[in-house]
Amino acid sequence: MTERPILIVGGGPAGLAAAQAVGTSGRKAVLVEKAAALGGAPILQGYAKLVPSHEWARDAIGGMVARVQQNANVTVLTDAQVQAFAGEPGRFVATLKDGKRIEAEAAILATGFTHFDSLNKPEWGFGTYPDVVTTVQVEQMISSGKGIRCPSDGRVPDRVAILLCVGSRDRQIGREWCSKVCCTVSANMAMEIRELSPQTNVYIYYMDIRTFGLYEGEFYWKSQEEAKVKYIKARIAEVTSDGKRLVVKGEDTLVKRPITIPFDLVVHAIGMDPNVDNMTLSAVFGVTLNRYGYIDKATPYAQMAQTSRPGVYVAGAATGPETIDDAIAQGQAAALAAMTRAGVGLARAAE
Amino acid sequence: MTAHAKLPTPPIADPVSDRAPVPQEALEAIFDDIRKHPLYDHEIHGCLNCGICTATCPSAQYYDYSPREIVQLLWTENLEGIYDAMQEKIWACAQCYTCAARCPFENSPGGLVMILREVAIKHELPSVKEVLRPFSRVLLKVVTTGNQLAPNMITRDAFPDWGPNVTKVDAPLMVLRKAIPMPTMHTLDTAWEVNLRTSVELYTIWEATGVLKQLATVDANLFDVVSDVMDEKRDEWEEWLEDNQDEDGDTDD
Repeated sequence: MTERPILIVGGGPAGLAAAQAVGTSGRKAVLVEKAAALGGAPILQGYAKLVPSHEWARDAIGGMVARVQQNANVTVLTDAQVQAFAGEPGRFVATLKDGKRIEAEAAILATGFTHFDSLNKPEWGFGTYPDVVTTVQVEQMISSGKGIRCPSDGRVPDRVAILLCVGSRDRQIGREWCSKVCCTVSANMAMEIRELSPQTNVYIYYMDIRTFGLYEGEFYWKSQEEAKVKYIKARIAEVTSDGKRLVVKGEDTLVKRPITIPFDLVVHAIGMDPNVDNMTLSAVFGVTLNRYGYIDKATPYAQMAQTSRPGVYVAGAATGPETIDDAIAQGQAAALAAMTRAGVGLARAAE
Repeated sequence: MTAHAKLPTPPIADPVSDRAPVPQEALEAIFDDIRKHPLYDHEIHGCLNCGICTATCPSAQYYDYSPREIVQLLWTENLEGIYDAMQEKIWACAQCYTCAARCPFENSPGGLVMILREVAIKHELPSVKEVLRPFSRVLLKVVTTGNQLAPNMITRDAFPDWGPNVTKVDAPLMVLRKAIPMPTMHTLDTAWEVNLRTSVELYTIWEATGVLKQLATVDANLFDVVSDVMDEKRDEWEEWLEDNQDEDGDTDD
């Protein structure tokens, strides 16, 4: 029996993990990536040190990329997008934008997320004031080695505010989900800022702190006890400027009075939106999206990687906000499901 | 019956106040009316104490008023706290609803305040008459003319807080208003002319929605004046209808 390869869409942590798992098992995989390079958000957007390993993204995820590229069973296609997808489990045919046809046994969607665009919360000053930045920009400041600087004039900030839940848990803009990682990423980032410039004071404004599981000790408490990061329970109403510094308006919920506080740098801890391509992906692959716009996932108890279409599987942040570690685990789970054609027989039996 | 815990009977009085304690039954009756308000569940969904409502509230800048506190008192069913807030605090809200536009969970503290005000009036709380007395003049204007502020009410004496801008009241207002294309605005006695039919319909709405009943509670004298004006206008309207009736019995608009 000649086995067709497993088609994997997306070359981030989930897709890399799936490709490596399929290749290592001795089966063939074709990895299709929209961008010019593999690695997904951690590589393409220049993340610094990852949570919770503290390894540099270029080492940790870069290592995953190298292993996939060296895997003889994996064919990597970059700058490539699937335009049409037809057929049945075991004999799917994908057509790429350049006309190339790929016959596939099954498909895994590891298409990831899109960072929330802070322009959608104009009251918090992003796009109006150059010293209002996102966590992604601070990641780039750290990974570039240039340190923490105010974009307006390059000075080292005296006071930095990190605002949590920007584009998360906000019904006003239709984003009801918690993006899961921003609390821990922000706590880690605050510690990194304190380490890079000890004269800088860092304040985190929060509604809840969700450094879940083991992150509680290593990130939440360590950032307070060792790095002296200040946590203030307040959701900021607006970020303006007095012409020299940023002015942050909030309520000190302990003394119950509105306050205005000056800052040099304001960082938006931006959340994870559904991939902006999800409507297209849904149409091309014939899979349904959930009410939030992520790719729908069946109940995890039988097969966690199942989409609404038999033979098409999903992993990572394509299904909702996800950590890198869990995206990798889901990529491996999806590889196993795709290789065993999990759920296909069940779906047929149900029909 | 409400779900909250019962306070000990007799209730514990404020040790530094001569005021008699409010009976638990009265507090419960007030809260039941608040919670049964048709909009209540629409205005409150939960609260994390993030404070964005109070941070953004213009009234919180100047008064001992916090929209977050209002939401918390209701969400935690703090009956004494609710009663206390209904004495003065709820009247500090300017009903701008910026809080509702900001709340990440789409609560509406401003909407809750509106409910609290309605219930305060229904229960004839002592604060109501006191707080609303200065608004009698505006209320009379609204009820008799259909709008609350007329250009000729704007005088130097009435608006000392305008500072240098007060010179603007010396403008030739009638000339300026004649320049507005809509003829209903060619007047200084009201903001715009409200025709008889609209006035009568407004009264009917106020009557049906209980606004006039609230007015009777707040200010009995004003209620009498307004009732007289209303009877007069209704008579006028009836006369106009009779005068304009054609042979088929239809009115000619």
